[in-house]
Amino acid sequence: MQQKTALILGVSGQDGAYLAKHLLSKGYKVHGSSRRDKYQRITNLDRLGIHDDVQIHSIQTDDFYSLFRTLRILRPDEIYNLSGQTSVGLSFEVPIETFASIANGTLNILECLRMLDIPTKLFNAGSSECFGNTPLPAAEETPFQPRSPYASAKAAAFWMTANYRESYGLPVCTGILFNHESPLRPSQFVTRKIISAAARISRGSGERLRLGRLSIYRDWGWAPEYVDAMWRMLQGDAMDDFVIATGQSQSLEDFVAVSFETVGLNWRDHVDVDASLFRPSEIDHSVGNPLKAQRLLGWKAEKGISAVIAELMSTELETAAC
Amino acid sequence: MGKVALITGVTGQDGAYLAELLLAKGYDVHGTKRRASSFNVGRVDHLFKEENGATPAFQLHHADLTDSTSLIRLVQDIQPDEIYNLAAQSHVQVSFETPEYTANADGTGTLRLLEAIRLLKLEGKTRFYQASTSELYGMVRETPQTELTPFYPRSPYAVAKLYGYWITVNYREAYGIHASNGILFNHESPIRGETFVTRKITRAVAAIEHGRLNKLSLGNLDARRDWGHARDYVEGMWRMLQQPAGDDYVLATGETHPVREFVTLAFSHIGRTIEWVGSGTEEKGLDARDGTLLVDIDPRYFRPTEVDLLLGNPAKAAEKLGWKATTPFEDLVREMVLSDVELLKTEPVRYSYRD
Repeated sequence: MQQKTALILGVSGQDGAYLAKHLLSKGYKVHGSSRRDKYQRITNLDRLGIHDDVQIHSIQTDDFYSLFRTLRILRPDEIYNLSGQTSVGLSFEVPIETFASIANGTLNILECLRMLDIPTKLFNAGSSECFGNTPLPAAEETPFQPRSPYASAKAAAFWMTANYRESYGLPVCTGILFNHESPLRPSQFVTRKIISAAARISRGSGERLRLGRLSIYRDWGWAPEYVDAMWRMLQGDAMDDFVIATGQSQSLEDFVAVSFETVGLNWRDHVDVDASLFRPSEIDHSVGNPLKAQRLLGWKAEKGISAVIAELMSTELETAAC
Repeated sequence: MGKVALITGVTGQDGAYLAELLLAKGYDVHGTKRRASSFNVGRVDHLFKEENGATPAFQLHHADLTDSTSLIRLVQDIQPDEIYNLAAQSHVQVSFETPEYTANADGTGTLRLLEAIRLLKLEGKTRFYQASTSELYGMVRETPQTELTPFYPRSPYAVAKLYGYWITVNYREAYGIHASNGILFNHESPIRGETFVTRKITRAVAAIEHGRLNKLSLGNLDARRDWGHARDYVEGMWRMLQQPAGDDYVLATGETHPVREFVTLAFSHIGRTIEWVGSGTEEKGLDARDGTLLVDIDPRYFRPTEVDLLLGNPAKAAEKLGWKATTPFEDLVREMVLSDVELLKTEPVRYSYRD
C-alpha cells in the first residue's frame, strides 16, 4: 500500500505535536505548518523527538495563497486543521485576529479543497466552548451557544465545514473536542499554571497562586488520546462530526485540590482567588457525551482526571529536576 | 512624570534593545507580542522585575497588528508618548511564501497603528517611529543610498514595508502626526534571529567549535551588506522621536562587507583559518590546516530576486541627530561568535542544526 501523506496545520501546538507523532507511528509521511515560519524550530516537536521527521512549510491559513500553493503540490490524503488562536481569554483582547485565524482560516482550507478538486479529507478542530454552558452532557445534536469571540469563531468554522460537506460533498468533518491536557500545554493555560505553581511551591518557592473562578466545571481528558480520535474520524468512508470527551466533569477547585495533594500540600494555604482574572462571560459547566464516538469510532477516553493530573505532575517534577 | 512608550514587536532583537534603552532613560515601557504556541519571550525575560505592589516599569501585552481593535484598546489604555512600530513579518524569504499575511501585518498593520493615534485624537501627543528598511532600495538606483534615493522593492516584504513607509509620511503630512521612518540597514547582535545569515553563521561556527556540526551551508557568499550593531541603532530610533519634527533618516555604518568576510572572521575566533577554493556553487571553504570542509554552497538559499549592493549613507542622521554607528564590524562579529560559543555550551543538543 502506498504511504499516506498528512498535513497538520498548526503543528507547533500541543495537539499538532502529538498528532504528528501518532501519524508517524502509523507510517504516514507527515507535513506540518506553523504560523511561525518554517525556518524557526518548533520546540514541541523537539520535545517529542520528531523535529526532523516532520517537513515544515510556511503556511498561514489566513493567507490563502500560501495554503493553495502548498496543497496543489502536496495533495495530501488528510489535512488536520489545528491552527488558529486558541485562548478563550485572549480572544476578548484580539477578537479580530481570532476570527480571521479560526473562521477565515478554515474557510480558506475548504475553498482550496473545492477549487483543487482533490479527494483530501479534512479534520477540523472544533471546540466544546461552542456549547457554552452544558447543564447536561452535550452531544452532537446539542445546539451551540457560544460565549466568547473564540467560541463564536469556532462555531462559524464548524458550520462552514458542515456546509461544504453537504453542499459540495467534500470529505470534511469537525471533532468537537472538550478540554484535553498534557505537558505540552503552554504555561498560560490554567491547568499548566496550576501544576507548575504547585510543583514550585512544593520545592519551597513560597509564592501565591492567583486564579480566577474556581467553581467552574470542565471535562478534562488526556491530549495524546484525543489525537487518536482525530485520526479515527478520517478513516471511515462517510464523514461525520463527533463529540470527543471523557463524559465526566470536575470543578476547577477539585483540579487545584488534587494537584496540591499530589505534592502533599493543602491548596487553601497557597491559592488566592483574583476577580481580575474572571472572564467577561464565563462558562460554569462544561461536559460532553462521547457515546457516538465510542459507538462508531471505537474510541473511548481511558485517562480520567486523576490520571491526567498524576501524569502532568510527574512530568513537571522531572523537567524541573533537570 | 516619566514618559510612556509602546513598542510593538518587543520580543524581537530591536525591541529588546530598545526596551532596555528606554527603561534606562526612565520610561514606562509597554511591549506587545503576538500569540504563540511556544515560549518566545526569551529576549525580554530579564526586563520583568517584581516591584512589591507598584506597577512594573516593563509590561507585556498581547496585541496583533492584524487586529485593529486590539491596537486601539491598548493605545487608549496606556496613552503613550511614543510608539515604536517594530512588529512585522520580517523574514524576506518567508514573504515569498506568505505574501498576503506579510502585506497585512507589515503594510496594513502600520496603517492600523496610525489610525489608532488619529481615532483617539492623540495626534498632538503621541510620536510615532516606523521601522523601515534598506530592503526598500532593492535593485538599487544609486550607491550609496540616502533618504533621497528612489525605492525599488524586490520582495513582498519590501513592498509591504514600502506601504508602511509612505503611509507614515502621509499621516505626518496630512494630520500633523510626529511620525518618522528609520531606514535601517542591517543591524545584528547576539540576539539576532537564528534565521538571519549572520546569526546562522555564528551559531554554526559555535556548533562546529563544540563538535555538534561538521559544516556550514550558505547561499550567495558575494552578497555585500552594511552591517551594524543593533544596540547603536535603537539609540538612533529614540533620537528621531526627540526632534522638534518628524522626518526620515537612514541609519547605516556606511561600509559594506561580503558574507564571505563575515564567515572568515567568525571562524578566526575559534582558531580556524578558512581557505576558499573553487567558484560559483562549487566554491568551498576549507580549514587551511588540514583541508576539512567547513563551508559549502547550497543554491536553495539563493533568493528568487536578490538585492544589489546595499550601502547606506548616514550623513543626515549624523548631522541632524548626532548619531553614528560606533561598534566596529570586527567587534560585532567577535561579540556574536563568543556569545554563541558560550550559549551552545549549555543549550540542549538539538536533533540537528539543519534549518
